[in-house]
Amino acid sequence: MKFPRCLPTLPLVLLSICLSTCFSATASSATDSPRSEEPDTNPSQAASVVIPGPLRSFMRMAGISQKAAPEEVLPLLAHNVFAQGYEGSRDGGRPTEFLILLSRYVHQAKELAALVGPDGSFRVSNCDEAKPLLHTLGYRVRQDCGAKHTALVTADPERAFVTIDSGFPLPELELTLQGGKPFTYAFPASRVPVMFTESDWTTLNSESRKGSRDLIETFLHDPLLCRLYWALSRTDAESRVALQRSVGIGTLLPVAAVLDFYGSHICIRSGRVIVPGGAGAASAWKDLTGASPDSPREFVARLLAKDNGWLAAYFDALSRVNQTQQAHFTEVRLRRFYESFRGQSISPDAARPAFRPAPALLLLMTRLQWQPSGEPYVPGNLEVWKQILQQKSDSKIIRDSGKRASHIKNPEQLAETMFALCRVETETGPLQIYLMLSELDSKRSPENRLSPQTVLLMASRFADFSNQYLIFSEFPELNDESITRFLNVAESLGKIPNHTLRGNAMGIFQANIGMWQILARQGQIQSSALNDSWQNVIKPFGKVLSSPQLFEAGSDSLGELLLAATGQRSGSQDEIIDLLAGPRQATPDGQRMHQEVANEIRSVMDGQRLVSLDTILGLGDGLDAMAHGAAVGDSLVPLAGELREFEMPRPIFSSGERTQWATGVYNNRHTDLQMRTDLTKVIKAPGSKQQLEDARGQLCPFLRDTLVGLNYAYYEPPGAQILHINPLFVRSHDFSGDTVAGVDRIWQAPQLFGEGSPAGGGAHLVGSLADLPYVLAQVEQDFIAPENVQALIWRELVPGLLINAILPRWWGVSQSELHAITLYQRSGEELLTASAGDPQLRKKVMTILSDRMDPQVSARVETALVTGRLADVDPRMTPADSFYLAAEFRRRFPGQTDSLGPANQELESLSRRDPTELSWDRLSQDFGVPHPILAQSYSRELLNLKPFPAFEGYSSRLLAETWDSNNLYWARLADEKGYSAVMLNALVPQLTHRMVEKIFASDFEDWPAMLRAMRETGEEFRQGKIASLSTGVSITQP
Amino acid sequence: MTKKSFLFLALVLILLSSPGIRVAAQESAPNIRVVVDMVQLNVAVTDNKGNYVTGLHPSDFAIVEDSIPQKLATFGEGNEPAYRVADTSSTSEKTSAKAGGQEPQADPKSAGEDVSQSLGSMVAGANVFLLFDTSNYMYRGFVFAQDAIADFVRSLETADKVAFYSYSRDLSRSAPLTPDREAVLRGVRATVAGDDAALYNCLLLTIKDASHFTGRKVVVVFSNGPDNSSMVPPEDVAELAQSTGTAIYMISTQLARLEPVSTAVFERMTAATGGKAYFAKNWRDEQKAFASIRDDLAHLYSLSYYPQPNPNRGWRGITVKLVGERLKKYHIRTRNGYRPQPNRFAAGTTTASASEAGPSNQ
Repeated sequence: MKFPRCLPTLPLVLLSICLSTCFSATASSATDSPRSEEPDTNPSQAASVVIPGPLRSFMRMAGISQKAAPEEVLPLLAHNVFAQGYEGSRDGGRPTEFLILLSRYVHQAKELAALVGPDGSFRVSNCDEAKPLLHTLGYRVRQDCGAKHTALVTADPERAFVTIDSGFPLPELELTLQGGKPFTYAFPASRVPVMFTESDWTTLNSESRKGSRDLIETFLHDPLLCRLYWALSRTDAESRVALQRSVGIGTLLPVAAVLDFYGSHICIRSGRVIVPGGAGAASAWKDLTGASPDSPREFVARLLAKDNGWLAAYFDALSRVNQTQQAHFTEVRLRRFYESFRGQSISPDAARPAFRPAPALLLLMTRLQWQPSGEPYVPGNLEVWKQILQQKSDSKIIRDSGKRASHIKNPEQLAETMFALCRVETETGPLQIYLMLSELDSKRSPENRLSPQTVLLMASRFADFSNQYLIFSEFPELNDESITRFLNVAESLGKIPNHTLRGNAMGIFQANIGMWQILARQGQIQSSALNDSWQNVIKPFGKVLSSPQLFEAGSDSLGELLLAATGQRSGSQDEIIDLLAGPRQATPDGQRMHQEVANEIRSVMDGQRLVSLDTILGLGDGLDAMAHGAAVGDSLVPLAGELREFEMPRPIFSSGERTQWATGVYNNRHTDLQMRTDLTKVIKAPGSKQQLEDARGQLCPFLRDTLVGLNYAYYEPPGAQILHINPLFVRSHDFSGDTVAGVDRIWQAPQLFGEGSPAGGGAHLVGSLADLPYVLAQVEQDFIAPENVQALIWRELVPGLLINAILPRWWGVSQSELHAITLYQRSGEELLTASAGDPQLRKKVMTILSDRMDPQVSARVETALVTGRLADVDPRMTPADSFYLAAEFRRRFPGQTDSLGPANQELESLSRRDPTELSWDRLSQDFGVPHPILAQSYSRELLNLKPFPAFEGYSSRLLAETWDSNNLYWARLADEKGYSAVMLNALVPQLTHRMVEKIFASDFEDWPAMLRAMRETGEEFRQGKIASLSTGVSITQP
Repeated sequence: MTKKSFLFLALVLILLSSPGIRVAAQESAPNIRVVVDMVQLNVAVTDNKGNYVTGLHPSDFAIVEDSIPQKLATFGEGNEPAYRVADTSSTSEKTSAKAGGQEPQADPKSAGEDVSQSLGSMVAGANVFLLFDTSNYMYRGFVFAQDAIADFVRSLETADKVAFYSYSRDLSRSAPLTPDREAVLRGVRATVAGDDAALYNCLLLTIKDASHFTGRKVVVVFSNGPDNSSMVPPEDVAELAQSTGTAIYMISTQLARLEPVSTAVFERMTAATGGKAYFAKNWRDEQKAFASIRDDLAHLYSLSYYPQPNPNRGWRGITVKLVGERLKKYHIRTRNGYRPQPNRFAAGTTTASASEAGPSNQ
C-alpha cells in the first residue's frame, strides 16, 4: 500500500478527531471535537523509561517479538509478566522460570552496563581486558588465551544461560580472544515510551514508593499493576488520558483484570463515555450501571465493578458488533437481555479465568438473526423451542430455562432465554443449537426454511451430529428430506454392533459424502441436482448389516456420486482424482494448475501407499462375476496380490514395548486385519458363492482407506509431511472410537491422538471427517519452521490460516474479478488519502472503518490522517479494511467516488460493465474465508468484523476466522504480477505457508504481526524471491 | 528459475552424465512406477577392537539387494572423493596404487581416543547437519551442551559444509548448510531455550533438507531424549533416513537413559542408518563421542550402485559383505535397506515427465 508521505499543507486540525473512532452509532451525529494528540504515535515526545542493555536482548528475554515497535515494549512486558510470570494461586502465585530468568537478565544487564566505556560500548582487545566481562557473562577461557584454539566455556551456568538466551555476541568475543580484531559491542541503555509517567506507576507499588525500584523492577514484582498497564495500553489514547484523569489509575487497579478483558472499547470523548447503541441507549446504560455516561468517573468505575465484571463483559461484547447489529439492541432489549445474561448468580467473576469466559455472548450478539418485523429470528417455531429447552442437562441454568420454557410467548422471550444461556459452558446446549439452526436458515429462502420437525430432529441429534451440520449450512439447497435421511442413515450406521463393520461403514459413508461436498462446492454437481444427488449418495447405506452389503453400498454410493458429477456411474481412480482436482480447464494455465492439484492428491495417495480404487473395485466386480459363475479368477489373482503389498514401517519397538510404552495409544487393528487379508485362496479354489461374497466384504477396509485417503489428500495443507511420510495415518483413522477410551461422540470433529508418543505409531485421528481440513492443518502445522529465532507456530491461529488457503479454489474466477479485488483495495487507499485533507470525507471513512477496527486502531488511523502522516496509516490498515472501506463507501455514497482517484474511476467503470461479477456477494463468495465456528459453515464469506479476542474454549480460533485479509492480498499480488486467476490455486497455499514462517508474534492476539508477515511475504513475492510460477510452480526453499 | 528447480535440473544433469545409465525398475502394476537412481552407502569396517580398517578396495566389497547382486558404481574411502568403479581406464591406476595388493590396515589411532590429531583431513566432503534440542528437557544442561556443540563445530574444520538447526516444538534453521564455520558458531550461540520437544518432527525435516544434497551426509542430534510433541513416529523418520542415505548420530547424556523409550529409539535408529548413539556422563564429557563421530566420517567407505531391476516396491534389504577369507574377521556397519520413494507427483514436477521425477539418491 502506498501513500503520499506528506500532504501539501498540514491541516490545522490536530485536535479535531471526530468521535467516529469509538462507535459508529455516535459518529453520524458527531462533530469534530477537541482532543489531545495521540501520544502513542509520537513516542519521541512521550515520557520514557530506561531499560538496561540493548532493546533486542531485553525483548528476547521478555518474550517480545523483535519486530515489535518500541512503544509496544512496556505493554508487552506487562502482559507477559502477568500472563506468564506467575503460577499457582497462593500469595499471588510463585514466579515462573520465565520471570526468574528475566529478572536475572535485568540484573546482569545492569552489571554489564557498569563495565562499558564512556561511549556505551564494550571494547576488548586482549585476554586481560576480557576478564571482568567474562566473569559477568559467566564464561571462562579454556586453553591458553590468544591461541587459535582458544574457546569460551561455561563457568557460571546461571549467568551463561542468561548471556546466551539474551543473544550476547559470544562468538565475536571468542574470535578476539583467539587473536582476532578487537571486540566492540554497543551496549546502550534503551529508552522506551511509558504511558503517562514512570512515577504514576511506581507510586502504586508499596516497595517502589520507597524509591528502591524503577518501573521495570516494579513490573517484575507486581503482576496486578502489569495487568492494569496492559489493559490501559489497549485503550485509545484519549480515553486512556481521560480514565487517568477522571477515574485515576489507582482506582482502576482493583479492577485491572476486568479492564484487561473488557476495557478496550471504553471510549471517552469530550467528557462523555460513548456507549454501544449510541445516544438512544444512554439511558439504558445509565440504568444498568447506576451512573450517567456523561460522568466518566462514576460510569466507568461502576461498569467495571458491577456484577463481578459481567456488565463490563456485556458492554464490551455489544461494542464489538457492527452498527447495524447494535441498532437492534434498543433500550428495552438492552436491559432485558442483560438481566437474562446476568441471571441469578454473578459467580464466578467475569475476569477470573485465564481467557475471557462466555464466548457465546459475543457470538450471539454478532450472529443473532432478525425477522423483517424486527423481532429476533426463530428457527422452526416457538413450540419446538419449548421442547428443545426442556432437554436434559447437567447445567442448572439450562434446567431453569427449561422450566420457564412453557411461558415463552414470543421471539423476544426466546432471545432473552438465549442470553441467559450464554454463560453455560457447553458446546451442545440450546444456545448452540439456536446459533447453528439460525445460520442454516439465514442462507435459505423463506420457502425453504427448516420445518419445525426438522428443527426438532436436528436439535435432538445435536450433541452427536452438530459438526456434521456444517455441510447443511454450506449447502442450503439441501432440504428437510435430505437432512432427515442423512440423520437416519448415520444413526443406523452408528448402531451397527460389529465394531469393525461399523468403523468401515462410517468411514466409507463419510468419505463419499466428503467427496460430494467437494464436488458440490466446486460446482461440479449442478445446483438443481444437489438434493437428488445427496440422497442418492446416502441411500445405499440405508440397510447395511454385513461387510458384503457395505461393499455394495460403498460402490453404489460412489457410482451415484460420479453419475451426478460426470453423467457416468464409473470412473477410474485417476479420473476421480481429476474430478476432485477441479472442473476441467480450457486455458493452458488452467490445465497446468489442474494437473498440479491432481498430482498433489496423487502424491498423498502414493505416500499413504493405499490400494488403488481400480484394484478394489475390479476385485469386487470380479468376485461378483465369479459368484455368478464367470471364470475370471486368473485375472483377479494379480489384483489380490496388490492387497498384500503394503508393508508396515520397519519396527523400532517390539510389541511388548509398545504395550508398555504406548498403552492406549498404539492400535493398528484395522491395518493388521488388512495385512492378513488374502483373497488368492478363495479366488484360486474357487470358493463357494457365499465365500466369494464374503471375500467382497473383505475389501471394505481397503475401500474405506482409499476413499478416506482421497478426502485427506484433497485437504492437504501446504508443507504437509505426515500425509506423505506416515503410511498409517489414513489407515489409523478410528471412526468408531474403538481404539481409545472416552470418545463417545464419534460423528463429531475428529480428535488427535498419539502426539508426543514415540512408541505410539504416530498421530492419528479419532472421530468423524467433519472439520477435517482444520484438523489436518492442526496436525501438519508444526512442520512449518518459523523464519525468526524465538518465533512460534501459534497452534490455534495457524490452522485457521492454512484452511483459508486450502479450502477456497479459484477455478471459476474471472480476470475481471481478480482485477476488481485489486481495484477495491486501491480504491480504499485512495479514499483514505483523500480523506486526510477532507474532514467531511474523513468522517464518513472513519464511520465505515469503525465496524472493522478496535477504537485504538481506529483512533491511530484517524490521527494519522488528521496530521497528514499517511505513512502511519499503512501499518494499521489490513487489505480487508481497504477492501471493505471501498465497497461500503460505494454502497452508502454511490456516485461520490469518481473523483477520488484512478482506481475508483476504473472500478466504477468496471462495475458498470459487469455488475454481477463485481458484486459484493460474488467477490465475498470467491475471496472470502470459511467460518466454521463463527458462522457454523465452510461457506466462504467476507464477514467484516472486528478481530475477535481470545476466548475460553476457543482460544484464538475465532480470531483466525476474523482474519480475512490473506486471500484478498494474495489476489492483488497475483493481479499486479499479471497472473491468471486460476494460478491462485497454487499461489495462495505457497504464500500462506511462507507467511506462517514469517509470523513473529508476541502473543496469539498479535494481529499486527500477521499483517507484517503477510506484507513481508508479499514483498518477497514482488521481488521474485518466492512462489514464482514462471518456470513451474515452486517455492524457494529456505 | 527457482532454487529448487535449479537443483532438480542440476541433479538430472549429473546423473545423466554419470557412466551408469539410470535404472528404472519398471513394475508390473500399470499405474505405479518406482524409479531409483542410485543407492549410496556409507560403510564402516572395523576389527574386533573397534579399530577402523583402511586400505580396502572395491573388489573387497559385495553388495546384495534383496538377494540380487549389485555392481559397484562408485567407491571412495575416507576423505578422498569417490571415483567411478566401472571406468577402469581412469581408476585402475588409482585403485592399484591405493590397494597395491597390500593387506588392509587396522588403524589403532582411529578408535576415537586421540583428539589431538588433525581433524581437518578427516571429514572432508561430508555435509553435516547438527540438530540441537533446546526444549525444556535440556534446560539444565543447555549451556554445557551448547559449549559441546561449539567444540564439535570447531573440530569439523574441513568437513565440506555444516548446518546448524535447533528445535523445541518447532524447527529453527539457525545456520543453513554452509562452509562458513563462524556463521555456524553464531547460529549455535544464538539459540534460545524453548518449551515442548518434537524431536522426530524436526529430525524428519532435517533429513529432508539433507536429502537435497548428494555425497556423504550425516545428521548429528544433541538431545536428552524425550519427545512430547511429535506427530510423526520414529519409524518413519528412520525409514526416510535409510532411504535417503543419511546416517544419524545421537549424542546424549545419561539423563536419556532414564527414559527407556528414548534410549531404545536412539540406539536402534542410529544403528539402522549406519550411525551411532552415545550417552556420555554429562555434556562436558562428550569428547569421546565427538572424536568417534569424526573418526567415523573420516574412515567410512563410500559405495554406490545403481540397482539391478527389482520388482519389489516395498522395503529392499541391503547386505554388504567383505569378499575373501582374509577379510571375514572384520565387521561392517551400514544401513540395512531402503524403501523406494514413489514421489511421482511432487509439486513443481509438472514440466517433467511424472514417471521420471523421483529422488536422485536412495
